[in-house]
Order: sequence, then structure tokens, then C-alpha cells
Amino acid sequence: MSDDAQNDPPKGATSRRALMLGAVGASAIVSIRPALAQTAASVVTCEIPVPDPGRAGNYIAADGSLVPAGTHGAFAPAGKAFKGEDVRIALGGGQLPGTSYEQSRAYTNYIRRLQSGTSGFTCFASLQMPRG
Amino acid sequence: MPDRLYRMERPENLRVAHLDSFTAVYHRNSGITHLITAPAPEILATLGEAGMTFTALRETLASAYELGDLDDAALAARLDELVAAGLVSTA
Repeated sequence: MSDDAQNDPPKGATSRRALMLGAVGASAIVSIRPALAQTAASVVTCEIPVPDPGRAGNYIAADGSLVPAGTHGAFAPAGKAFKGEDVRIALGGGQLPGTSYEQSRAYTNYIRRLQSGTSGFTCFASLQMPRG
Repeated sequence: MPDRLYRMERPENLRVAHLDSFTAVYHRNSGITHLITAPAPEILATLGEAGMTFTALRETLASAYELGDLDDAALAARLDELVAAGLVSTA
């Protein structure tokens, strides 16, 4: 329990605090189900495609951004998706299997920039969870 | 609308942390964490373990707070959400 008692709603306070009930359709609750926590066991086997299949025609620049195919200095898409465990090692300073040093850095930068809704994001997010 | 009794979940089943702009409520029975914002924390605190009817809740909130938009439908919607989350029970 927090000691931060001043945030508690006042009970019988003399000065009335403003409070809005909100619109009927609005929501005052966001529920976080422990779905990500349950995926911990599958982290080793989950996969991250580079890039997302929806943008498979693009190359990956050194900073991880996607650029048109053939862009000088950028890397062609990885032939196959990387396993969660391989990505974990790469994020820790290792190298992705079957890649050169610069290629691995570009792919790892791409993975770091993954956003919700992109293929592989859940796997990447799971890698960020402490193992417990 | 039937004037049912609404009651906050027993405190031993909840772990509450007041954060800056919202309150995190961990519900032990379901293992789910709920991030709740006004007016949900105020409704929970007002209901308490003893609980109160919809009418009593509306009157208590109206006397304790400067309600900008006292609307039965909105209050019912907020209560329904809390019931759906398991943080409030009805009798």
C-alpha cells in the first residue's frame, strides 16, 4: 500500500474537489492481463522476422530504419526469422546467427524499433520482461 | 433502475498503488492489474466494504465532490465497469 495518503479521495472534506463522471461510452479502467508473463516460456522459441512480412520488400539501414530495396549501405532482409533466444543474445551485444557484424547491428537496431502491432513485437516485448 | 447494493471488493484481495495520474489496483483473485482513473478510485473509496445503493452513492458523491456532470447513466456505466473488473460486487 502506498504511503502517499494525500492522493486518497477526501472524506468529509470541507472544500469539495471537482470530479467528472465522464461520458457513458468512456472508460476509466484499463486492465492488464498477465498475457506477456505467460509467454515467458516461449521466449526461446518465438520468432522475429526482419523486416515485418508486410514490408518485406525493404532493406534495413544501419540505424534500423527501413529503406527502399537496393539502397547503398543498407542490408537485404534476413532470409529467415530470428529466434527469441538469438535476439536476446544480440541485444546483449552478441551477433545474430548467419550475419556479418554490421548486418547484425542493423537488424538489431530494427528490432529495437519494433512497435506494437508489428510482427515480432510481442516476442521482442517478452525479451524485455525480467525472468521470474 | 433497481437500487441494488454495490460493495467494494474486500481490501485483502486488492493491492493498491497511487501513481501520479492514475491508481493501479492489483486484483489478487484474478491476477489482473487494473489502471483506474477518476472517478473510479473515488467511487471505490466511497462505496467501501460496507457498500451502498446506487442512490446513496450518487448522493454521497454529489455532497463530497463538485460533480461537473451528474448523470445517472454515466455513473451506472462507471459502476458496471468496476463490476466487470471484479473490483465491485453487487447484491
